[in-house]
Amino acid sequence: MLARVANNLFWMGRYIERSEHIARYLNVNYFSSLDAPNQLSQSRQFVLRSMLFMVGDPELDDDKHLLEEHVLYKIGVDHDTPYSIINNVKLARENANSARDLISTELYEAINKFYHFILNYDPAIFVKNGLHDFTLHITEMTDILRGKIRGTLLHDPVYAIIMLGINMERATQVIRIINAKYNDALNSQGGYGDKFSKSFEWTTLLKCAESYDMMRRHYKKTPTSVSTLEFLILNPNCPRSIMNSLNQVYRHIKVLDTTTNYNKNATAFLIGKVRSEIQYKHIEEIECNIQAFIENILNNLSEISLKMEKEFFNY
Amino acid sequence: MTNIENKIFSSYQRDSQLYDEIFDEEGAIKQVYQKLFNLYGEHSIEDYVKLNSKAKSSFFNQGITFQVYGDKETKEKIFPFDLFPRIIDPEEWEIIEKGSIQRSKALNLFLWDIYHDKNIIRDGIVPMDLISSSANYLDQMNGVDPPGGIYNHISGIDVIKHKDGKYYVLEDNIRCPSGVSYVICNRTALKRALFGVFNHYQTYSVTNYAENLLDLLESVKPQGVDIPNCVVITPGMYNSAFYEHSYLAKTMGVELVEGRDLFVENDFVYMKTIKGPVKVDIIYRRIDDQFLDPLEFKSDSAIGVPGLFAAYKKGNVTLANAPGTGVADDKAVYTYMPQIIKYYLDEEPILNNVHTYHCSRPEELKYVLDHIHELVIKPVDEAGGYGISIGNRLSTSEIELVKEQIIESPRKYVAQPIMSLSVHPTYIDETEEFEQRHVDLRTFTVLGKDKEFVLKGGLTRVALQKGNLIVNSSQGGGSKDTWVLKNI
Repeated sequence: MLARVANNLFWMGRYIERSEHIARYLNVNYFSSLDAPNQLSQSRQFVLRSMLFMVGDPELDDDKHLLEEHVLYKIGVDHDTPYSIINNVKLARENANSARDLISTELYEAINKFYHFILNYDPAIFVKNGLHDFTLHITEMTDILRGKIRGTLLHDPVYAIIMLGINMERATQVIRIINAKYNDALNSQGGYGDKFSKSFEWTTLLKCAESYDMMRRHYKKTPTSVSTLEFLILNPNCPRSIMNSLNQVYRHIKVLDTTTNYNKNATAFLIGKVRSEIQYKHIEEIECNIQAFIENILNNLSEISLKMEKEFFNY
Repeated sequence: MTNIENKIFSSYQRDSQLYDEIFDEEGAIKQVYQKLFNLYGEHSIEDYVKLNSKAKSSFFNQGITFQVYGDKETKEKIFPFDLFPRIIDPEEWEIIEKGSIQRSKALNLFLWDIYHDKNIIRDGIVPMDLISSSANYLDQMNGVDPPGGIYNHISGIDVIKHKDGKYYVLEDNIRCPSGVSYVICNRTALKRALFGVFNHYQTYSVTNYAENLLDLLESVKPQGVDIPNCVVITPGMYNSAFYEHSYLAKTMGVELVEGRDLFVENDFVYMKTIKGPVKVDIIYRRIDDQFLDPLEFKSDSAIGVPGLFAAYKKGNVTLANAPGTGVADDKAVYTYMPQIIKYYLDEEPILNNVHTYHCSRPEELKYVLDHIHELVIKPVDEAGGYGISIGNRLSTSEIELVKEQIIESPRKYVAQPIMSLSVHPTYIDETEEFEQRHVDLRTFTVLGKDKEFVLKGGLTRVALQKGNLIVNSSQGGGSKDTWVLKNI
């Protein structure tokens, strides 16, 4: 496979995954805030700020009054915002375009339909009353795309590279979401019954990662800070967890790098190392300094990305 | 008459001056179209409108679109596609197929000759001037032996049916003829919309093009290569034919590369893969000659590969089509085709040539200037239907302007009698009716070492504007699925 095309496929995977997480984040936060148990979590300003924080564009001015329609437009369908959902999907499609000869017709058609759906969605409707419909469509379509990737591509290096992109992005997005909701939980504590460890935000966090039902099944208890973080970071059986994402990344890098020799400069080696570090952590270690842990993970992920670029996408 | 009972064709207006592909002079449906005519007649025009939009969305979802650039967002449009297919019976197809092979072979021998001994010029069959004054003649190709002796691996030959019911060749395209992917997409779209109609006809498949193309390209691999590695090179995803490039690479199962994916070392060509460099032996190039290699041709080409031509000259890589083929699809060379076929193959041309007047010859120039209103004036070196003037459509002042242009550089122009392209019933969006539209047919011929292949089908192009004779997609043309029947 051409190095350039491999790079495009990797990013196709990343953009598909990214658009899903942003869409779900908007949906879950907006709708769970409507009947949230405390005043702050119910406040529209709080939710809008959380959304901007998650996409990496936080509003720094505490006194500024944010307009709902502006924020939704900016994150959802604004062509001029680099991180907007529409631009993510556009880039996913563009990357798919350049590798059209390698991916299946079925996958390409699905991406193409996805793109046209978003392109043709009326922004005025989206910001007024289309949020649920729009974001739900996106999360459903990304599920379809993943299905097409799994079911219509040969499980060869092409597939491995797309899956690398998806799982690298999943790890990145889930840790960003954890960061954002952790931040929300900190900000919303204070009032009666709003203890940090039992904050309503943990439920929202789980829903943002589509893991609430799984978590309930696993712990059979109301989510707390510890159990939520443990589940989303360390549980290898939760498909959205950091642990599982890294396991997947490791599995797929081994398709590209089949050597078994010890090579400390290989990407596979670095991934293995990062993965093992998390594998043998326990939640109390993480919980006492969650901020440092998040930063460390994000650094590790970008280091892996850079290394991958050097080793495989060099053209 | 049948067409009165037929809902869909009830308002079809037949101009008896034109050759209609499906109705004879009396207005009776031709036998080969009878079943199709009845099947389509079962639908109402409302059904048809629905089917039409279904077919359109099929193209749209397949991403077979071209871009229209607007101020904010580039819009995508599909190439107009007509749901009423064109049928070619086995007898007629045999003529087209044999004729296409004959022309492609003759052109190949002609190219070898003019880049080597130039016997045809020495023997006085074609003038030296024809080649020396051609912008597409590449001096660099002089004395170069292309692997397998093939220049025009892929030829797109445009044929039309004239009023007399005979096929004529309008053009030979042997640089980078495009359109083959539309042949296959048209078939796919028609099957999706109206699969039932295929039960009633034995039609040749068109999906075997890629496998045959790869097979024939591999037959002209460079010497000493055991299992050749073939790639398709594209100018990039913003090229208007990118869909076709990716389609060909995908269906041949080879890599689709851009210039920046390749490099040349010690006169061998390599591509940069995730496992390091891999040698490339055969390049189906969809980049024009001038952009192939910045060291040899246009030095500012960003889409080419430095050193590619040197590797080619050494025989280390096959380029399809060979550089410099453009000299033979020049419209001035076209006029010599009967002589060229006779000279190299000692055969009579199977497909007719349209009589052509060379403005470079004084007596013919005089005829052209006197009869412009009944002639089509074509620049010899333009592609895509640009620069064509149709005599009976020009105002007096326009005629004067054309005359001036011809007198200024006679070598640049040829003239032909206005051919009457046959018409085919075509569904027109605006009127929601079937109307007569002019059509042509592009056939695709592939030459390999001692074997050849013609795609049984081809691209029927439709001039969508009423009365328009120019079918190129760059001029607002559409297309139809084309069926070659195994038997009637």
